[in-house]
Amino acid sequence: MATYEQLAQEVVKGKRKLVIASTNELLQAGEAPLDIINKALVVGMSEVGVLFQQNKMFIPEVLMSAKAMEEGINIVKPLLQAGDMKSNGTVIMATVQGDLHDIGKNLVGIMLESNGFTVINAGKDVSPEQLVNMVKELKPDVLGMSAMLTTTMLHMKDTIELLKEEGIRDQVKVIIGGAPVSTDFSTEITADGFAPDALSAVGLCKRLL
Amino acid sequence: MYTSRSHFKRANFDVNQTICWKMLSEDQCEEIFVTAVELLERSGAQVESEEARALFAAKGCWVEGDTVRIPSAKLEWAVRTAPSRITLCDRNGKRAVLMETENNHFAPYFGSEKILDRSSGEQRDITVNDVVETARLSEKLSRVSLVSAPGKPSGVNKNSAGLHAFEALLSNSTKPILQPVGNAKEAEFVAEMAAAAVGSSDKLRQNPYVVFAIQCDEPRFHDQDALGAVMFAAKSGIPFVYLNKLVSGVTAPLNTAGTLVLALANSLVALTLSQFVSAGAPFISGGQFTVFDQKNAVAPFGAPEAGLIGAGFSNLMRHLRIPSAGVYGLSDSNFSDAQAGAEFTYGILTSALAGTNVIAGGGALESGRVASAAVLAMGDEVLGNVHRIMRTFDMDEEHLARGVIDEVGPGGNYLSESHTSFYFKSEQYWPTLINRKRIDDWVDSGAKTMGTRALEYVEELLSAPAVSKLDSAVAAQLKSILAKADQTL
Repeated sequence: MATYEQLAQEVVKGKRKLVIASTNELLQAGEAPLDIINKALVVGMSEVGVLFQQNKMFIPEVLMSAKAMEEGINIVKPLLQAGDMKSNGTVIMATVQGDLHDIGKNLVGIMLESNGFTVINAGKDVSPEQLVNMVKELKPDVLGMSAMLTTTMLHMKDTIELLKEEGIRDQVKVIIGGAPVSTDFSTEITADGFAPDALSAVGLCKRLL
Repeated sequence: MYTSRSHFKRANFDVNQTICWKMLSEDQCEEIFVTAVELLERSGAQVESEEARALFAAKGCWVEGDTVRIPSAKLEWAVRTAPSRITLCDRNGKRAVLMETENNHFAPYFGSEKILDRSSGEQRDITVNDVVETARLSEKLSRVSLVSAPGKPSGVNKNSAGLHAFEALLSNSTKPILQPVGNAKEAEFVAEMAAAAVGSSDKLRQNPYVVFAIQCDEPRFHDQDALGAVMFAAKSGIPFVYLNKLVSGVTAPLNTAGTLVLALANSLVALTLSQFVSAGAPFISGGQFTVFDQKNAVAPFGAPEAGLIGAGFSNLMRHLRIPSAGVYGLSDSNFSDAQAGAEFTYGILTSALAGTNVIAGGGALESGRVASAAVLAMGDEVLGNVHRIMRTFDMDEEHLARGVIDEVGPGGNYLSESHTSFYFKSEQYWPTLINRKRIDDWVDSGAKTMGTRALEYVEELLSAPAVSKLDSAVAAQLKSILAKADQTL
């Protein structure tokens, strides 16, 4: 019979088919759906995070693990009682105006989702006005902005200024990321935080909320 | 455009799986060969060994005084008779280095006079401990396939210093050894020690664990000691490199073609002699070439011409089906600076692409005069990069990736595809010493240059426990052979 430990390792190794089989086995053996998530799937993904930061796993492997975990979650989710699984928070993820580089931003989204956050993907080339409207409408806990270029990263500042003008800056935490962005820049434009990679972004969101 | 791919089945695919720099065409190689053969038949070479001259005469060559002229048919016979491939084995008898076709193997340079001290950064004499450390380091560097001492150690009997180095290599590494020998007596001691290490001289013959490097520094002049070593090697079936060290415009004609003719003529004398001693004796044609730097009055072995002439020589040997070796990938720089990095790269790239079987120029600065452990590690990294380029890429259905391209769609990314996670470790080269950090990360990790990183890497590798030492009975046997050599040489 599959064990929690075994399922967690299958997530670490990114073995989608094995994750599906083990999840089903655990359910048939009468294990609680929420336990399967918290004691196996999430445990595996946390280990992935550690291995990634130690340079022992790399992005393509992390993504395989995230996909494998998702397969498990998809099986278990319909069996949960309403309110069983609480979201850790809602995050809007966007690549700023004039910038089409969204691989890194999507990666952050995947990592947040596999850590229990609800992610709203706003897409790429998103203007400050569009973002402010989304914040007003959807009331996320966090707004995440990404930029790849030194020219487009200035729109992060514009967006924060616009949030202030509209009087809603204190309703949302703003985090930023991307190749040209740094902690110094984050402080300068009065964002709430900067993360150098996808897994640090998860830690950052957890700290801020 | 309609497709013009041939209708042949995959069995008849015309494959370019590794790339090779064929600088000389088959016709050009033949032109150089016939020129060298004519030269040896018409003018011959000076052979300073009476024993060798007697053998040449007995086999039908024309001997007059010290000069030996070799008829074409004898030379052609010798080229056909020598093996086209040689397998070297490690100390445990495992087949380790295949010197065949265009395979490349890397070795440290063996002829330095000084070494860069790792802690002071100053040049100093080479010690037996330096040889021990070179052996231990070479054992850990994955691209180094043969070990050799950086040079003759000081502080021991000058005439048996090479044997002290050999004992240190034997005791601290299992990889095959490239060992310079100056004369037959020294070669005999090396063979005796190697036989002791592998069990017997028969085993040594079947599983060659040591390759002699025998130096020939002058044009059409073969000295008694070198030829003595050649004859001993051939008799005992130990592979040897006959290493032509020629400087175009000084000891060879100024132009590359003429230098190649002369180098080949030099090689053919030793090759023919070895085949006369024992038909089928394993012979490796070696080269260390360059031009003369008139401004500084030095022979710069990091020069582009060193790689150019060497590439021609390796092409020529491939044409003749004779394994090749060469002292390539040296730097003329005094330190592990940017110049050294550039010279290692084009020296190793040209000789590897040209199909040189043994590239024996690792870890050498100042045109070979100075050895450095850190730059040996740099050379190992350069060869890793070069081999990645030479490995080219696969072309089957899975690698053409039509399915995954279709699946990802326009504007998508391939990072999260299982196709990517399956191949990303093997398709690309994962460097050890090369820096690819963003500036902030590089500064955070100490803002270290390549030279510093290489030095630290060497320290890290040497601080790990040493490999399994020799059996104590064998070690004692080696010591007693060494003591005998100290007294006799």
